[in-house]
Amino acid sequence: MPDGALEGIEVVELGQMVSAPYCAKLFSDFGADVVKVEAPESGDLARRWGPFPGDEPHPEKSGLFHFLNTNKRGITLDVSTGAGHEVLLQLLARADVLIENNPPAQMRNLGLDYATLEQVNPNLVMVSITPYGQTGPCSDWKGYDLNAFHFSGASHRYCGRPGEAPLEHGTFAADFYGAAAAATWGLAVTLGRERVGGGQQVDVSCAEAIAATFVGAQNIGAYAQGGVFETRTGVGMPFCAPATILPCKDGHVWALAIEPGQWKGLVEVMGNPEWAQVEMFEDMFVRGQNPDIIYPLVQEWTLQHGKFEIMERCQAVGCPVTAVLTVEEAIEHPHLRERGYIVELEHPELGRVASLGPPFKLPESPGGPREPAPLLGQHNDHIYGDRLGMSADERARLRADGII
Amino acid sequence: MANALPLEGIRMANFGWVWAGPVLGQALAFLGAEVYKVESYTRVDMTRTLPPFGGDGVRDPNRSLSNHACWAGNGSVSLNLRKPEAVELALELVATCDVAAENFGPGVMENFGLGYAKLCEVKPDIVMFSMPAAGLYGPLRDIRTYGLGLTGTTGLDSLVGYLDGPPIPMEQAFSDPFNGILGGFAVLAALNYRDRTGKGQHIDYSQQEAVMQMIGPAFMDYTMNGRSAGPLGNRHPLAAAAPHGVFPCAGDDRWISIAVADEGEWQGLVAAMDDPEWTRAAEFTGPEERVRNIQELHERLAEWTAGFDDRELTEHLQSRGVAAAPVLNVADLLDDPHYRARGTFIEVRHPLGFEETIYGAYVKTSRTEAKVRPGPSIGQDNEHVFKELLGMSDERYAQLVEEKVIF
Repeated sequence: MPDGALEGIEVVELGQMVSAPYCAKLFSDFGADVVKVEAPESGDLARRWGPFPGDEPHPEKSGLFHFLNTNKRGITLDVSTGAGHEVLLQLLARADVLIENNPPAQMRNLGLDYATLEQVNPNLVMVSITPYGQTGPCSDWKGYDLNAFHFSGASHRYCGRPGEAPLEHGTFAADFYGAAAAATWGLAVTLGRERVGGGQQVDVSCAEAIAATFVGAQNIGAYAQGGVFETRTGVGMPFCAPATILPCKDGHVWALAIEPGQWKGLVEVMGNPEWAQVEMFEDMFVRGQNPDIIYPLVQEWTLQHGKFEIMERCQAVGCPVTAVLTVEEAIEHPHLRERGYIVELEHPELGRVASLGPPFKLPESPGGPREPAPLLGQHNDHIYGDRLGMSADERARLRADGII
Repeated sequence: MANALPLEGIRMANFGWVWAGPVLGQALAFLGAEVYKVESYTRVDMTRTLPPFGGDGVRDPNRSLSNHACWAGNGSVSLNLRKPEAVELALELVATCDVAAENFGPGVMENFGLGYAKLCEVKPDIVMFSMPAAGLYGPLRDIRTYGLGLTGTTGLDSLVGYLDGPPIPMEQAFSDPFNGILGGFAVLAALNYRDRTGKGQHIDYSQQEAVMQMIGPAFMDYTMNGRSAGPLGNRHPLAAAAPHGVFPCAGDDRWISIAVADEGEWQGLVAAMDDPEWTRAAEFTGPEERVRNIQELHERLAEWTAGFDDRELTEHLQSRGVAAAPVLNVADLLDDPHYRARGTFIEVRHPLGFEETIYGAYVKTSRTEAKVRPGPSIGQDNEHVFKELLGMSDERYAQLVEEKVIF
């Protein structure tokens, strides 16, 4: 096995649930040395969230925890105690990166704010991922993924039917998005420490990352200049057609045929129906202005065919129609199998269990899950003993005091 | 603030187009890299034609406001890659770069004469970043998608919609900026490897696989329990919290999000509602009961929220320790005190002579200030790149402009 791309970078994770753990997983899956710090006994909240095999809760069998914490080493430490705090500072004194997603006030109260940590290790990069960020009037709001996503404008603008509730993106979308931004900016800042003269805090607001780069990107210039803005329509691309999700015989497809060649291809695949020969329908905007005519007619055809058949036949004529795959269909697709995207790991409690491969392939320095997520405190002896040089007696005392 | 930026000294030729590729260049440019979009008037990028246009609103590919926001930070050189001299110049530029990036379909760069092997000839340790829809190999390699439909192939779209209803489309390509930003991590990881070993590489970034990371939780439920979830509404992806939803407020299309994950937060919510009798009913006594009876719980809560102003109600709930926030629309984003305080959106003067509002550093760094340049005009950096960087004479430059090689 060649070296990982991030070999030699030491990361400490003080995170729970999705955002910080996913960010740290990107580091660990590409070779960085990541030590995950969890509270003794309870551990990361994700351990309580599941999904669990057979829906039976068990702190070592959470699918979410397993997915988000591969290739990390896990230790337990009560950082709210004086002794625990000191041990954490010992770890941070030698680390390159700290990745965390705790409320800013909590980090201040624990004496783990950047101003303090900078004194301990001026070369430390502290990556903080929260719903709203470290500054601004909402920074001390309590928030979860749901709140952050809806505070970004993404749902009100783009997701849901008019008049009905705006919708989340079906997963921890804000947490994942914030984690991606944190990983890129955090790594850049880490690699650039010599150039800028030391470490710094990387302050990521999950809501802000989406508000800026997704919603703001497409809307804010127009609103600032013209004073008008748009809201969700429930249709994929309302100004042209077909460009939305339609039902088919066995599920749904993204019916997308916009440019003239694409529309021509779709018409051909539909068997050149008479209604599609009307000249004005050659214009994608005219089609968009007549959704009540276009969509029922296209749907009449899609309902008679399966999603894979529709995708294959449309793709063959250059029309970018795709099947809306269920989770099962996506996972089982031969394309992902052939690319080795589904990987299997041996876990002491879960047995042989699947996970997803890395988000991208670095052929010279491959990444991805190799080791399963750590059991609670699995690497205590190794990290406290070998890395920090604590004697067995010291470790036993800290254990007896409930600190590790 | 330090004067230097973290990625100063890194140079990138960005053949990326539309949205995801330029956002990658932007991320690295904000952090100090020198990034040149390679594009041409012979085939103007579609996003440059999107209205509205800045200033007096003249339709001009150098004035699209959304294009400027998405591309800000990238520089631009214009090369008509159908001409062999232009391809040679592109290779000369790559020879001075650390990174070359693109998000065409597989094979397109090879057809230009700019495939990985070719780039290695002029720059052996180049990091090439390719971001096709479904990766560089595999049965779906040649799939054609827009960002919108791409998420269909990941399983993610099947989870979006009202509970028990059909999938509802996300009306803009969430995957594009996500992939552009995460692509930056891939590039930096490869640069770190190059710095350690001297070896470049060709990154195979499948947009499908990267977006699929977001369905990790649903994937685990499938792989462990054989369940394939459907649209979730606003419910918690793991059914671990209730209430967990969006509720109506006073006014036109105003909403509030409320998420309650533990008993303390539930007690806070109950207190915020002045302890109504219905909250003491057996079906709401504990977290499990509340998750089981979430539909009824949400109906009760919606009756209560409907009369309140979303921001006032947010403050009220936050004061009781409940995670609540207004659901913002586009206008709110620009005026919101929080985003104002963080400088999320900034007004910049475009070199063409008008003010425009774009987003700035969407991540804050405590020691360095992101370098935000307005969206580029086509070929704005031609003279600098060809004359200063590549040492081209004035005569030769004028000739190539005349011949529409530099165009």
